[in-house]
Amino acid sequence: MNSPSKVPVTILTGFLGSGKTTLLNRILSEEHGKRIAVIENEYGEVGIDQALVINADEEIFEMSNGCICCTVRGDLIRVLGNLMKRRDKFDYILLETTGLADPGPVAQTFFMDDEIASEFSLDGIVTLVDAHHINQQLGRSLESTEQIAFADVILLNKTDLVKAEELDELETRLREMNRLARVHRCERANVAISTVLNLEAFNLDQVLADHPTFLEPEYPFEWTGVYALSPGSYELSLDDGPDPTMSLVMLERLDPNEEALQQGAEWCVRRYAEPASKISPGNIVPIDQHVELQLQISGQKSFAIEIDKQTSLALFAQHTAEEFNLRLGASDNAEVLPVLERTWVAQHEHDDEVGSVAIEVDGDVNPNKLNAWLGKLLREKGIDIFRMKGFLSIAGESQRFVFQGVHMLFDGQPDRPWGNEPRHNQLVFIGRNLDGNTMKREFEACLN
Amino acid sequence: MPKLVKNKAHGVLQNGFFAAVDDYPIAGGWGLNGKLFAVGDASGSVQAFDGTSGRKIWKNSEAHVGGIMSMSVSSNGKQLASVGQDGQLALWDFADGQLQHRTEIGSGWVEHVAWSKSGNHLAVSSGRVVTILSSSGEKIWSSESHPSTVSALEWVTDQELSTTCYGRVTFFNTSSGKENERLEWQGSLVSLALSPDGNVVACGSQDKSVHFWRRSNGQDSMMSGYPWKPSELAFSHDSILLATGGGEDITVWSFEGSGPEGTTPGVLEFHKAPISSLAFSHHQRHLASGCREGGVVVWSLGRRGGGHALGGAPVNGSVENVYWRPDCRSLAAIDSEGGITVWRVKKI
Repeated sequence: MNSPSKVPVTILTGFLGSGKTTLLNRILSEEHGKRIAVIENEYGEVGIDQALVINADEEIFEMSNGCICCTVRGDLIRVLGNLMKRRDKFDYILLETTGLADPGPVAQTFFMDDEIASEFSLDGIVTLVDAHHINQQLGRSLESTEQIAFADVILLNKTDLVKAEELDELETRLREMNRLARVHRCERANVAISTVLNLEAFNLDQVLADHPTFLEPEYPFEWTGVYALSPGSYELSLDDGPDPTMSLVMLERLDPNEEALQQGAEWCVRRYAEPASKISPGNIVPIDQHVELQLQISGQKSFAIEIDKQTSLALFAQHTAEEFNLRLGASDNAEVLPVLERTWVAQHEHDDEVGSVAIEVDGDVNPNKLNAWLGKLLREKGIDIFRMKGFLSIAGESQRFVFQGVHMLFDGQPDRPWGNEPRHNQLVFIGRNLDGNTMKREFEACLN
Repeated sequence: MPKLVKNKAHGVLQNGFFAAVDDYPIAGGWGLNGKLFAVGDASGSVQAFDGTSGRKIWKNSEAHVGGIMSMSVSSNGKQLASVGQDGQLALWDFADGQLQHRTEIGSGWVEHVAWSKSGNHLAVSSGRVVTILSSSGEKIWSSESHPSTVSALEWVTDQELSTTCYGRVTFFNTSSGKENERLEWQGSLVSLALSPDGNVVACGSQDKSVHFWRRSNGQDSMMSGYPWKPSELAFSHDSILLATGGGEDITVWSFEGSGPEGTTPGVLEFHKAPISSLAFSHHQRHLASGCREGGVVVWSLGRRGGGHALGGAPVNGSVENVYWRPDCRSLAAIDSEGGITVWRVKKI
C-alpha cells in the first residue's frame, strides 16, 4: 500500500464577524494549485463551487479519565475518518471553527487519535481578529482570549476601521498575550496565502528552521517611514528632541506594504545589533548601515541623503518622526511626505490574564531536574498553558533539543548540533495567569 | 501461521475472483443467497458483481451524490438499502439494480442503515436522529435528538433497536418509538456489537477500551489497554466469543461460564498493521480478519478464545471490510485501492 505523506490541516479561528469566511473564500478562489477540502461549522457560509465543503457539528468529547488533554472533537474524528477515504480528491484541509470555539480540543484531536494522527498533520492555527471589536471581546469572553493564545498566526483584520495609534496599541497587546504568534495586518483578510498555509508550526523540524530565534524581536526602533524617491539629493532635517542622538537604519527598495515592512523590520533588527557609525550634521547618511545621528547642537540639524536611482526608501528610526519633527526635503526644498508610516510601539504592561512567559538563559540544563520541573508544571498548570515552544541545551547532549506542546501534550526531539554557538535555552509559554518570575526561577534551578 | 505471498491464497482460502471499482469502496454486501455481491463507493456509485465469476451485473453511477456512507441487505437478500452524503436513503432491487424508492432523510450525511431481522423495517441515522422506515422506504417515526451524533446502530430483535453516541447506548422500542433502556458510560463510543442472544452489549471507546453490559443483570465491565481505539468488534454466532481489534492483535474474550471477567483473552497474532475489519462466520466459530496493510486471515477459535489460522490471502490496499457469503462458502474483501477480492472457502 502506498502511504503518501500526511495531509496538512489549517485551523481558522476567530469571532463571528472577524472575517473567517472572507479569508476562506479568498484562499479558495486563489490560484494556488491546491485542492482544498473545507470543514465548516454549522453556521458557515462558504459558497465556492469547486471546493469540497463538509459541515461538522461541534461535538466536544471528554474521555472517561477526565483529563483535559484527552478532550477532543468527536465530529472531526468522524469527518476526517471519512475524508481519508477520499484523499486523492484533495491535498489540504481548512478547518473553520465557530466563533465561540475553544481551539484546544480541535488541536488535540490531531495528536490524541492515532488514526487521525497517522493521516493528517496539524499545520497551524490562524486566528482572525476584528481590529474594531477585539478590545471589547477580549474583555468579555474567554474564547476570544484562548483563540489569541493558541494562534500561530494572528491576522489583525479590518484595519481600515481603526486609527493607526489604536492599531499599534492593539498589536502590542496581542503580541504580549502571545509572543509566539506572527501578527499580520490586513483590511479584508487580504493576506498572502503563504502567511496562513504551510506554516508547519507543529513540525519540530520546521519550528526553528525559519526562525533562528523564537521570540519576536522587541524592536529597537519606534518609527518607520517609507518614501518614494527619484534620483537626486535630499535633506533629512530634525529639530530638538528628547535625546542627544538617534539611531537610524535606511533600507532601499522596500515596498510600501505591511508584509515588506515586517520583513524589513526583521532585517533592521540585525543591523541595529551592529555598532553604529556616528554621523554629524551636514554629512551623508549611508544606506543599509546602522548610524547614530549626532543631535547635540541645538536648533535644526540637517543630513544629506543621496539617491542614484528611483527607489522606495524606508527609514527605521529609534524615535518617532514627531518627537524630532523629522522631515525629508528635496533639492528644491519641497517637503517629501512618506507614502507609508508605521510606529513600533514599545512594550508596556497590560492586565490581560493571558500572556506569554519567555525564559532565555545561558547554560546547560540537568535533564532529571528539568523533567521533574516540567512534569510538575504541566500537572499543576497544564490546563492554563495553551501553547509552548522552545529549545534547550541539555547537559551532555551535543544537539539542541526542540520542543512544542499544546496543554499537557508535549512533543520534543533533538535538533541540529550546537557547534560553536553559545549554548543557551529559550522557552516560551502562552497561558493564563502564569507566574513568569517563579517559572524563570524554577527553570534556572534546573541548570547545572 | 500462514505466510502471505503476493496474489496467493493459502489454506482454506482459494482464489475466486478479483474485480475493481473506480473509487474507495465504502460498503459491500451479498444478495440473492450469495448470487451477487454489491459494492458502494466514495464516488457515490452502487454496483453488483456476479458472486462466482465477478462479472459486473449492474451499476448505478449516481446513487448518492457525494458518496456512499453505508449499505445493508434485507434478510431475504432481495433488497439493497444504501445511504449517503446526499442525505438520502435509496432502496434497490438486488437482482437488476432498479431503484425502488428514494427517501429524503435530512440535510446532512446519512451515516448508518440497517434492515431489521425480519426485513420489515429499516433504521437509518443522520446526525443525532434515528429514523425507522418501512421496507418500502416510508418513514414511520424519528427519534428525538441524541446528545451527540449517532456513531452506530444495530437491531436487537425485530422490535428493538440499539444506538450508540457519546456517553451512552440507547434501546428503542421500534413499534412505539419509546426508549426501553439507556446504558451510560462517559466515553466516546465508536463501535457497537450485540451478542446474537441479545444479552451482551459491547462498545469500543475512543479512549482505547471496550466496555460491555449484560442486559439480563445490569452487570458491566471494561477491558482497557488496547494500543488503538477498538473500532472493530464481532460476536460469534453462539454469543460465546467477542473478537475485538484495537491494534495489530485480535483480542478474543470468552463469555463462557462467568467470563470474561477474571479470564485471560485469546490473542491472535499475525497482522502487522492495525485490524480494520472483523467478521464471524454465520455458523461456526470461524473469524475473518483484515488489516490496514492488506491481508485477510481466517481463524478457527476455541470456546476460550484461543485459536489458530486456517488460511489467509494478501490484498493490495487497506482492508475496508470482509463479508461472509450467507452459506459461508465464500468470503469477500473490499480494500482501499478499489479492489473486490472474493475467495472460495474450503469446507473445514
